Amino acid sequence: MIRSVKFWIGFFILVVFIISSLGFELFYDSKVRQVQLLYDDQKNLIGGAPFDPSLMFPLGTDPLGYDISHKVLQGAKFTLIAVIAIGVFRVLFSFIVAIPFAFYLPDNIRKGLDQLLSSFYFIPLTIVAVFILGPILREQLNAQGEEFFLYSFFARVSLEVIILTVLVVPLLGSMIGNMMASILKEDFIESAQLLGASKWRVFKKHVIPHMLPKLVIVWCQQCVQVLIIFTHLGYLKLFFGGTDIDFNPMMADPPKSMSNEWSGLVGDYYTQIHANPYIALGPIIMFGIAIYAFQLIGEGFQQHIQTRHVKKKKDVRLNKEREMKIEQKSSFDFIEKRGA
Amino acid sequence: MKIIKKLLMQLILTIVSIILISGLPELIMNKNVSMYFNKIKDVCRDIFQMNQMTYFNQGKPRLFLDDIWSPYIYSLSILFGALLIAFCMAQLLTWVTLMLPMFIRGAIKNLLTFLESLPDLLVFALVQMGIVLIYKKTGVLVSNVASMGAEERIYIVPIVCLMILPFVYFYKMMILLAEEELSKQYVEMSLAKGMRRIYVLVVHVTRNTSEGIFHFSKSVLWFMISNLLLVEIIFNIHGITHYMYSDFRPEMLAACLILLVIPFFLLYALFEWVIVHFTKRGEWV
Repeated sequence: MIRSVKFWIGFFILVVFIISSLGFELFYDSKVRQVQLLYDDQKNLIGGAPFDPSLMFPLGTDPLGYDISHKVLQGAKFTLIAVIAIGVFRVLFSFIVAIPFAFYLPDNIRKGLDQLLSSFYFIPLTIVAVFILGPILREQLNAQGEEFFLYSFFARVSLEVIILTVLVVPLLGSMIGNMMASILKEDFIESAQLLGASKWRVFKKHVIPHMLPKLVIVWCQQCVQVLIIFTHLGYLKLFFGGTDIDFNPMMADPPKSMSNEWSGLVGDYYTQIHANPYIALGPIIMFGIAIYAFQLIGEGFQQHIQTRHVKKKKDVRLNKEREMKIEQKSSFDFIEKRGA
Repeated sequence: MKIIKKLLMQLILTIVSIILISGLPELIMNKNVSMYFNKIKDVCRDIFQMNQMTYFNQGKPRLFLDDIWSPYIYSLSILFGALLIAFCMAQLLTWVTLMLPMFIRGAIKNLLTFLESLPDLLVFALVQMGIVLIYKKTGVLVSNVASMGAEERIYIVPIVCLMILPFVYFYKMMILLAEEELSKQYVEMSLAKGMRRIYVLVVHVTRNTSEGIFHFSKSVLWFMISNLLLVEIIFNIHGITHYMYSDFRPEMLAACLILLVIPFFLLYALFEWVIVHFTKRGEWV
């Protein structure tokens, strides 16, 4: 059981977001409230959209009167599940790549490869992601004047997930590989090998238990990174699952997100930063909360693995003391009996 | 000699991977592998003859290298300035923080976790709004919030925007590494000998943590180059990423990224050399 408060706070935030978003879909069919004009009890007009944040509209409404908090709620499941999935894929694939890297490569080759791979540090992810994802996610206009996407919705989502995963595998793989190699250098591995353990057994019984907690922390960091990339992509009008662009030459609508996921909301509302700053900031603050939740999970988990043995050790000591007392008693008993 | 060979290999690999990546949109658009290789061939030719490369400015082709130098140096000065200021401030504050009692340090660390999770876009938005707010309240324009065109250059706002988060990252990392270092025995030994805590901190601990910080700074830089793109778009700055983003051809992306990478590559090679000499590990990190 994890006793860190930080971990549970972060976990709770994420679970509440996802479950309430799913519930909103299930029970209310994700219907976003639209209020364009607001009257008081005597039917006097008291305001028109956009509304600033208030008790009635926690994050305000946009100029068309759509309640942003509802939109955020509707989009939470897409964004958070995508982020968690990309994080898991990143760690999983890097882990798989790292296995031969740590187990089969001799030390000097591994170091050389590591140095070569560190050149990826100079290729900024956002720029490359924008560049590659642009043609996938933007709606295009063909010669007949019809709007179309190059790929189907499912292909767009899976391509985005794959690309955001593959771009970090070289760096992450070498990092995880180095962690694994440092575990393989420990003394207990050597004794396991002396006792006749095969590579598979060393991997299963020693490497995996030691790597898993570290991988959870790496996963949290990766999720944070993915969230940040989502805000960047959102600002640059590349929304998760596709950007709906209006090619109408007269009064075209601004690019729209197809599912109200958060990066789309960021992109939609950031342009209003000077007119209605609260509206622009709402979705970004939600991103901030999600990032904070992942950070808390990571830190809490780290605290947990640093302190998880403390209590156990205490228990062991107490048990030993108890056992010793019992032993003394019994030996005392024994002597008495012998005397009698 | 071996070192130079290694660095050269690294540089070549970086450039090759940039070129390979720059061809990818072609592959995705046309779903055709042979066209991808054709595109890569084109990009390679353009990179090797960079002095003849052209780009379109208001519909007219112009020589790329003629126009790129001044925005390139502008972008680099913003990036270097932000990195340098973030690093120095973080180092100074780390020394101050580590002289403070334990419970204040704990509070600072919690605060840093919070600051760390601010999305960069939020930071930019707040800076933008803050400047406007100050102007509205007092009539003092701290700095222009957007540059008007290619000629006008603003430095303060983009540097401040770019440095805030790297400063937080550096600060937290330095505190964590230094605390780990402080628990080592040699620190206790030198304190017992009667050395001042600040002396041990500034001279020994800083020197021994420099290697870790150096590795960490690579990922900070990685993050900053991405941010540069956003900052230049938000504040309408005509830097190198403006050329990259407004003319999104593979040749352009490859050329601009290579230009951006080379100075940092050299800087890091220099730092690595300095650190090896100063820490006297004798081992190439």
